[in-house]
Order: sequence, then structure tokens, then C-alpha cells
Amino acid sequence: MVEKTIIITRFDPDRDEKPRKQEYTVPCEDSWKVLDAVNFIKDEIDATVSHRWSCRMAVCGSCGMMVNGEPKLTCKTALSDYDDRVDIEPLANFPIVRDLVVELDGFMHKFESVKPWIIRAKEQAEDKASLHPEKDTFGQSTEELGNFKQFSMCINCMLCYSACPVVANEPDFLGPAAIALGHRYNLDSRDEGAEERHDIFRGEGTVFSCSYANECSEVCPKNVDPAAAINQAKFGTVIDWAKGLVLPRGGTK
Amino acid sequence: MAGPAHPEAMAPPTPGRTRAAPPQMPSTWWSAKRIRTYILFDATGIIYFLIAFLGIRLINALGAGPEAWDAAMESLKNPIYIAFHLLTLVSVIFVAVRFFRLFPKAQPPAMGPMKPPPGPIIHGMLYVVWFGITAFMTAVLAGVIL
Ligand code: SF4
Ligand code: FES
Repeated sequence: MVEKTIIITRFDPDRDEKPRKQEYTVPCEDSWKVLDAVNFIKDEIDATVSHRWSCRMAVCGSCGMMVNGEPKLTCKTALSDYDDRVDIEPLANFPIVRDLVVELDGFMHKFESVKPWIIRAKEQAEDKASLHPEKDTFGQSTEELGNFKQFSMCINCMLCYSACPVVANEPDFLGPAAIALGHRYNLDSRDEGAEERHDIFRGEGTVFSCSYANECSEVCPKNVDPAAAINQAKFGTVIDWAKGLVLPRGGTK
Repeated sequence: MAGPAHPEAMAPPTPGRTRAAPPQMPSTWWSAKRIRTYILFDATGIIYFLIAFLGIRLINALGAGPEAWDAAMESLKNPIYIAFHLLTLVSVIFVAVRFFRLFPKAQPPAMGPMKPPPGPIIHGMLYVVWFGITAFMTAVLAGVIL
């Protein structure tokens, strides 16, 4: 057991003009994760502290916070990796709703805008012909799954948005996780929506706003590698553009 | 943290019911270890900006006749210029190595029936091309070929 000073960012929208810091002295167990210290404060010292968490096993993506200036999943981050003073703040680049809780609607809106679902070009009745005759499903080989599997592992923790210097400066930027998700569907052999996502991926604030800082991939706890997705999408865009020059009907999938 | 990010960063499409505090970002972001390589990478832009001026100066000298050209060449022997060129060389190598490191994963997983070669092979090919071109240019400049 070791005593640590945990510094929490506090913001009460009804009382505080702007966020402030509050220090708590916490007796920490050696095995604790950062989230355990925040939970201890909430349970034993100050019940007014607000934060999000759920699964405690790096699956739900809700416990993302800045720990000493770095975006971290706090249920996965060992407290013993830090010195005696640990500064815990809400995720950078997000409006702060209360204490360590950030506004999610902007993120969800960006997510939705890439149409993250399987789009089939034909009407359902017509599409029946492409279904597996016995299983009534669209078949997919392991290799086809391998093309996008990595990009489907995202847990929506938003750490990549906190790390990205473009998100911090360009509000219209779709951002790493949303582009990775859109790209995941474009790579899915069952999907035929690349054309529908065409403009979403090529308009302002999309893939070409990314300066390949690679920060999103550095902080991603699930090795989704959104920077790879964004730059693959850039590559695909250039290929489509080149195809559009030489082929009569352009180059979308 | 406590430095301001763009006030509209990650803003909801319609404002929420409660007043939110504007987004923040670490005020020491530029010194964070994780981001240092990227900051250095971006900072090399200043060197290329400066060397573009040198290029323009040399083109001017070339147009102004042999004497101006010889004087310009002589001025490049100044230790400040030599140090600047060494710095440029280091920065070009740094940018190339970073680019080569990130390039393989930017390849699409498949283009029709074709798959890109594995990352280490792409990586190796980039270095082979780089060293090949450098060797060729060195041979040309040294008068060994052409
Ligand atoms: S891409 Fe990674 S860092 Fe970004 S939201 Fe998904 S899991 Fe989190
Ligand atoms: S609590 Fe679910 S990811 Fe941390």
C-alpha cells in the first residue's frame, strides 16, 4: 500500500466558470489500476466526483481519461507506473460535461456519418440470389475477413480523438475511429456502399485532413491502427481518382 | 493539461441541455515523448523552406553569368552553409526513414486479386530504391558515369 496524490479535474456546469483541479490523498494498493483510485475517491472520499466506467476489462471503452497528459483506458493502466502525483483529466479535445465526463454527441455524429453498416446495392428481394442457399447469409472467406478484421476491433473509447493534433484544431475532421470504421465497411466483401461513402471520404475534413501524425495508432488500446485505415483510404481515393480519369464510369467499388 | 483546444472541437451537432466547458488539450503537448517524432518531422519543413531560398539564389546566380555563379559556389564553402547542409542531410534522412516506416501499412490490403507484399518486403524495397538512386546520383556527380 502506498499513498498517492490523485489530482482530479472538477467541473460543475451549475457552479464553475471553468474546470479546476482538486487533490485527494489516496491509499493505493499495489495492484490497482488508475480507475481503482478514481473509484476509491468516488466511493470513500467524495461522492460528487463524476466519471464513466463499466466493464473494468478494456472492452466497453467508457473509462478513457487523460493520465498525466496521455489518453489512457484507466481500467487497463497500472497506477504503479506513475509517481506519487497522478493528474487525471477528462479526455482532451472534447467538451467537458462534468468532471471527467465528456460530451459524446459530436463523436457519435461523426461515427454515424460514415454509414457504418453493410449497404447492399440491390433491393432485398433481388439480393436474395447472392445469399448462401442453405444458410441464408452472405458468405465470407477467412481471407476476406482478414482484410478488415483489425479495423472492426474498435471499442469507441475515443482515445485516438484525444491524441490527434488535427482533431484539436479542425472541428470538421471526421477523425480516426470514424474513418477506420467507414474504411472497414468499404473493405468488407459483403458491402457495396463504397460509392455512397465516396463523398463522405473525399469531402472537406476527411482523409486528406490527416497529416499522418500516427498518434491515434500510438494510443489505441486495441491495436486498431486507425492511421493505417486513414492512409489506406487516401491511397484508395487516389487510385479511384486515377481510374476515373481512364475508365468511363470511374473507379468506385 | 489546461491549454485550449479549438472551441468547436468534437462539438455536438446541437448543443446539449447543460453548459459544457470548452475542450482542452495538454499545454505541454509539444514536449510529450509520444509526439516528439511528429513535431520534429513537421519542424523539418522550416529547413526545406530555407533551402528553397538557397535554390532560388543559385538559379539567379546561374542566370547572372559565370562570375556570379563562381561567387555563389565560393560562398557555399562558408562553415555556416556547410553546417546548414549537414543539418538538411540529417533531416532528409530522418524524414525518409519515418516515411518508409509508415508507408507499408498505408497500402490497401488488396487491389482486386492482387495483394501487396508483406510489410518488411515493401520496407526493404524502399531502402533498395533509395540507396540505388543515391548511388547513381553520387556516381553522376563524381563523374564516374554519364
Ligand atoms: S480506434 Fe482505438 S483508440 Fe480510437 S476509439 Fe477505437 S479503440 Fe479507441
Ligand atoms: S471500464 Fe470498460 S474499458 Fe475500461
